[in-house]
Amino acid sequence: MESLDTIVFHVTMAISVVAALLVVTRRNPVYSAVFMIVFFTMTAIDFLILRAPFLAVIQVLVYAGAIMVLYLFVIMLLNLKPEELRETVPLRRKLLAFLASAGLFLLLAGAIRSSPKVMSAPSLTAPLPVAAPESVTAAGEVAPLADELFNEHALVFELTSVLILIAIIGAIYLTKKRGTVRHGTSRT
Amino acid sequence: MEHLGLDVVLLFATGVFCIGVYGVLSRQNLIVILMCVELMLNSVNIAIVALGRAALAADPPPVSPNMPQIFVIMVLAVAAAEAGVGLAILLAVFRSWRTTNAGDIHLLKG
Repeated sequence: MESLDTIVFHVTMAISVVAALLVVTRRNPVYSAVFMIVFFTMTAIDFLILRAPFLAVIQVLVYAGAIMVLYLFVIMLLNLKPEELRETVPLRRKLLAFLASAGLFLLLAGAIRSSPKVMSAPSLTAPLPVAAPESVTAAGEVAPLADELFNEHALVFELTSVLILIAIIGAIYLTKKRGTVRHGTSRT
Repeated sequence: MEHLGLDVVLLFATGVFCIGVYGVLSRQNLIVILMCVELMLNSVNIAIVALGRAALAADPPPVSPNMPQIFVIMVLAVAAAEAGVGLAILLAVFRSWRTTNAGDIHLLKG
């Protein structure tokens, strides 16, 4: 099981990186959204292997389900024509963006590779120690997760609901039709 | 092929994050830029879950076993709120300017 988990994880990592690259490079946002769903599904498999079954379910339901459907809905609502999707990014800016992100990656990779704690960590697919208490072996399952979330972190949970309420009010206010047409350079 | 190192997973998460950064910097379509932000948020989630899984094997555990995953749930809530408000802004912009191209919107450009 251990080597199977490792192999599956490597495969999902490869597919995820390819899907992420396709999300960034496709011109049509519909393709980007579809590859985003592929990426989220692969992440859900990663979560399963990393002992987070509840998060895997949530990943598929909320990310691949709700959020990406919202994106696709907006894409369909805008109904953009191919000529409206054309981008005019100068090559120099693309090169600068590539250099910036590659530099960031090298910086972070250097930090990860030079951390003795990270490098000496045991294999992530290895079974847990036999003497591990139940709180450790059951971590990530629904019941202990809910227990901790609603007891110890109840305040954070409530604050999250306020945040989402603010987001809802903001979204409704922003999309509300106003009486007069504001400024803007409509190309009609 | 037995060993799945924490560093491999963290490098993978970093790689996806940097792909997202590249997308935000180099694309002009606002929808794709928002998706790249989601990509970055999600790569951070992978890193948090991997670190939490590594903490399970440590003795004594540095954090409560469920703590990292609760953190991820909070990130998820923020990501959902971000998607909602971001897409609402996108629709409002599209209504005024008839475009989703970030290059065409330069009201704040000095």
